Amino acid sequence: MITLTAPAEDQFKAPSPDELFTFSPIINGVDWFTKPVLLALLSSVVVIWFCWAAFGSPKIVPRGVQNVAEYGYMFVRDQVARPFLGKDADRWMGLLVTLFFMVLLWNIMGVIPVVQFPVASHIAFPAVLAGSIYVLKVYLGIKHQGAVGYFKNMMFPPGLPKGIYLLLAPIEFLSNLIIAPFTHAVRLFANMFAGHMLLAFFSMVGFWFLFEKLTPLGAGVGVVGVIMTIIFTGFELFIQFLQAFLFAMLAAMYIGGSLHAEH
Amino acid sequence: MSILAEVSGNVTAIGYGLAAIGPGIGVGIIFGQGVQAIARQPEAYGLIRQNMLLGFVLTEALALLGLVAPFIFQNI
Amino acid sequence: MSEQERRPEDDGQDFANAAWSIPSYLLAGMAIYGGAGWLLDRWLDTSAFFPIGVVLGIVLSVYLVYRKYGR
Repeated sequence: MITLTAPAEDQFKAPSPDELFTFSPIINGVDWFTKPVLLALLSSVVVIWFCWAAFGSPKIVPRGVQNVAEYGYMFVRDQVARPFLGKDADRWMGLLVTLFFMVLLWNIMGVIPVVQFPVASHIAFPAVLAGSIYVLKVYLGIKHQGAVGYFKNMMFPPGLPKGIYLLLAPIEFLSNLIIAPFTHAVRLFANMFAGHMLLAFFSMVGFWFLFEKLTPLGAGVGVVGVIMTIIFTGFELFIQFLQAFLFAMLAAMYIGGSLHAEH
Repeated sequence: MSILAEVSGNVTAIGYGLAAIGPGIGVGIIFGQGVQAIARQPEAYGLIRQNMLLGFVLTEALALLGLVAPFIFQNI
Repeated sequence: MSEQERRPEDDGQDFANAAWSIPSYLLAGMAIYGGAGWLLDRWLDTSAFFPIGVVLGIVLSVYLVYRKYGR
């Protein structure tokens, strides 16, 4: 009988979050400048360049970059902005398109070879985005419904029996002002974090059993690891797109909710 | 008795993992069947939507109960 | 808004709104009343109020969601 968790030198060890998500600074002495920060700056530059190249001098018959960008713009307008903002959709398209492209690029970084790190898997990045949307949401709500009206519409939805308001108002308050922005950020973060862990684990399995310790018995496991890596990379691409879409969609939903009181 | 296998770390995480299976399947069934029902009978949209949401709330409540169950049964 | 003057796009928007805010409501209800129960437990040195609070919070949130979106 053996203890199955006994640690040994030549045994497979799954990658831990610590070694996957902690980076040393790129330039010595500049502590904040690590790989995720570099990637985030890089993706900002790429998004700015992309939108500049596409819409800087738009042609009536789109070609090249403009074609791709217009496809993304149409997608955001029809799937995100119009259903939630209605006739105000065009005013908010700039923000929503930027958000969508930005988050999409952050996520796609996770499967681009060599780069291979989804920026959003450090919670600071989605938290800042969700926080700015939250500030915008509260500002718009107070501007369009009045300070008293906004909180009254939020905490006392019409159509409920009078006595129960005392019990339900705290739930509404906490749900709208604290839990909603929290889940907005955490949904993106958790998906990217888990996806990166999963990819790292399966590629580690493949690498370990096929290159480091090649044995007749282990080779099968290694092949399974490689196949799973390929499958999950495709799956990850889908999830990354979906999360970018959801992030923009929830932002549109919060903005729309602040512009018009719920009925 | 000798040890065959041992688990290190927090066991409650496994508990929540197990508790999330059921609601996960449930939410999938609710929305899957709901969308199918709407596709078959678009004119009953209001009624289907209402029941879909109700079923979703009740299932989701179970998933979230699983989240706090470790804290409730901490000293057992 | 009554059933007659509902437009289809309104319905879709309401539905998405409801489906996305339901987990928030449930979490909030649990956090508020579970937290209150936990504080009561600490204060009175008991262990019964926390589970009661959690279940009460869930029941209240389900009721709130039902009244708000369930019609």
